[in-house]
Amino acid sequence: MVSKQLTIINAQGFHMRPAQMFTAAMGKYSSDVTIKFNGKDVNGKSLLNIIPACIKCGSNIEIVCNGADENEALAEAVAMIENGFGE
Amino acid sequence: MLKGIGASEGFGIGKVMIVEEKKLEYTPHAVNDIDAEKQRYADAVAAFIEETKEQAAALRVSAGDKEAEIMEGHIGIINDPGMKMSVDGLIEGGNCAEAATEQTLDMFIGIFSATDDEMTQQRASDLKDIKNALLSILLGINEVKISEAPAGTVLVAKEVTPSMTAGINKDNIVGIITETGSQTSHSAILARAMEIPAVLSVPNALSQLSSGEQVIVDGTNGEIVTAPSEAEITDYTARRDAFLREKRELEMFRGRRTQSASGEEYELCCNIGSPKDAGKAIAADGEGVGLFRTEFLFMDRTALPTEDEQFEAYKAAAVILKGKPLIIRTLDIGGDKEIPYLGLEKEENPFMGFRAIRYCLKNREMFKSQIKAILRASAFGDVRIMFPLITAVEELREGKALVEEAKEYLRASGIAFNENIPVGVMTETAASGVIADLLAKEADFFSIGTNDLTGYTMACDRGNSDVSYLYSPFQPSVLRMIKSIIENAVKAGIPVGMCGEAAANPMMIPLLMSFGLTEFSVSAVSVLKVRKNIAKWTKAEADAVAEKVMIV
Repeated sequence: MVSKQLTIINAQGFHMRPAQMFTAAMGKYSSDVTIKFNGKDVNGKSLLNIIPACIKCGSNIEIVCNGADENEALAEAVAMIENGFGE
Repeated sequence: MLKGIGASEGFGIGKVMIVEEKKLEYTPHAVNDIDAEKQRYADAVAAFIEETKEQAAALRVSAGDKEAEIMEGHIGIINDPGMKMSVDGLIEGGNCAEAATEQTLDMFIGIFSATDDEMTQQRASDLKDIKNALLSILLGINEVKISEAPAGTVLVAKEVTPSMTAGINKDNIVGIITETGSQTSHSAILARAMEIPAVLSVPNALSQLSSGEQVIVDGTNGEIVTAPSEAEITDYTARRDAFLREKRELEMFRGRRTQSASGEEYELCCNIGSPKDAGKAIAADGEGVGLFRTEFLFMDRTALPTEDEQFEAYKAAAVILKGKPLIIRTLDIGGDKEIPYLGLEKEENPFMGFRAIRYCLKNREMFKSQIKAILRASAFGDVRIMFPLITAVEELREGKALVEEAKEYLRASGIAFNENIPVGVMTETAASGVIADLLAKEADFFSIGTNDLTGYTMACDRGNSDVSYLYSPFQPSVLRMIKSIIENAVKAGIPVGMCGEAAANPMMIPLLMSFGLTEFSVSAVSVLKVRKNIAKWTKAEADAVAEKVMIV
């Protein structure tokens, strides 16, 4: 299991388009991807989980990946969030 | 021959396409073969994805990338692992695919709606769309696709809804027939805006007409010719061509000033319902906007729009108008315009009840955020505020006090706005007509809303066909009301416009000129016609007509 703490920097936060990009990217990996936010575990592969979590710009989150390709999954997740989903 | 109300002028000859909204009803049934039921769901999902991709591609062309991306987002949602897990789980529990789909989406709709984030709440409407689309696929209900109607189609529906209009291609739809509606109903306004001939309120149109049959739609006279003979087709083709020729002649009035034959000048503006319409007003040669309805910002959503969101919309219209006047009417809900999330209770008598300015003055925070948004937009053009449904001077005073409060706040926050923003009254009640002299002392302008003014003065529901014969702005009582409102405004030295349908009526125009109206505000398609009609009359001729008419 690998993890990293991050801050959301894009203005929209984890809204429709970023969440779509994120879940589409994470769907490629066999590892479980969890976003820890506000004391809750959010399934990083599920749009329907991420959107109502209301993760906004400035929120502190932790990405946890667990599985065979956890390192690759975490690296891509971190890259997407750190570059603000290209906004 | 079928008779109805001619609600949008012109002649259309084409083939009927019946558009019926089907009910998504089913009887939940027990499932024995669980794998087969899961497969039914999977097949429906595959069909949904294919359909959605097509719609997204069409939207990309007609509305742009952003709209297309929202549509594509629906594919992401339906592919969501949480969604599949829930549906499969419910099917395994013995539910049919329809029930599993409905329960799953309703659960997510509930979750989305329960958040305190406005943008998330709005996404619940996407989930509803997905639910309906999936259920229609599962139930084998084919929705007729208006966007795919071939050239020469006459649409026949119970009513024309805004979502239907989105699919209408003006080049292919040559006529509209509905079972409900009147001159001022939504269907009529949409048909006129798109310049498609329309006949409304045709009893049992859906059962009397069948898809594929040829008809002639005479929107000028409110008639439908069924099974037309060759002679009739020749005759109506000639009429259609003459109608279109006259339309071209109107083009000669484009770019001209709006003035009478004796040189008196008038302002000729448009009524709009969204910032986009401001572009249409300009394209139609309107000299500004006399009525910007703000309800669109509040409808078809699950929570109030924020101040910023409103500001962006008002500013967008102001920017498009480049300094031309923009009269923004504050929220006019209630009556026939329902907004579920506001939690307005059903009333015995909604038109006389809790609506428009009455609602706004009781919900001050909401009202103030709209006023602040309008004030902020006033830094970007000639923006004016108008209160609807005023019936007493106190309401105007209270509204103006809120404008002052909002100004104070913006001043303290260092946000730019026009300190001298005009605040006017939409005179559309019998009460406001009777106290026009009192209101004129405290309002910066009047705008006469003839649709409601006629209804309230005549105590007559325009939608009720048993009493609609009474509904006319030419009733002596209504004419006296209009005359008195205009004269009191002139006496007080404030501008007075008319933003109801009557402002475009060729018979009403000389009367309004004579009474002293300063501004006509009409739908974009009527601008040139009204300019031509105003140019027909000298002031003396208009006065002579008015004198005769008002003898009654």
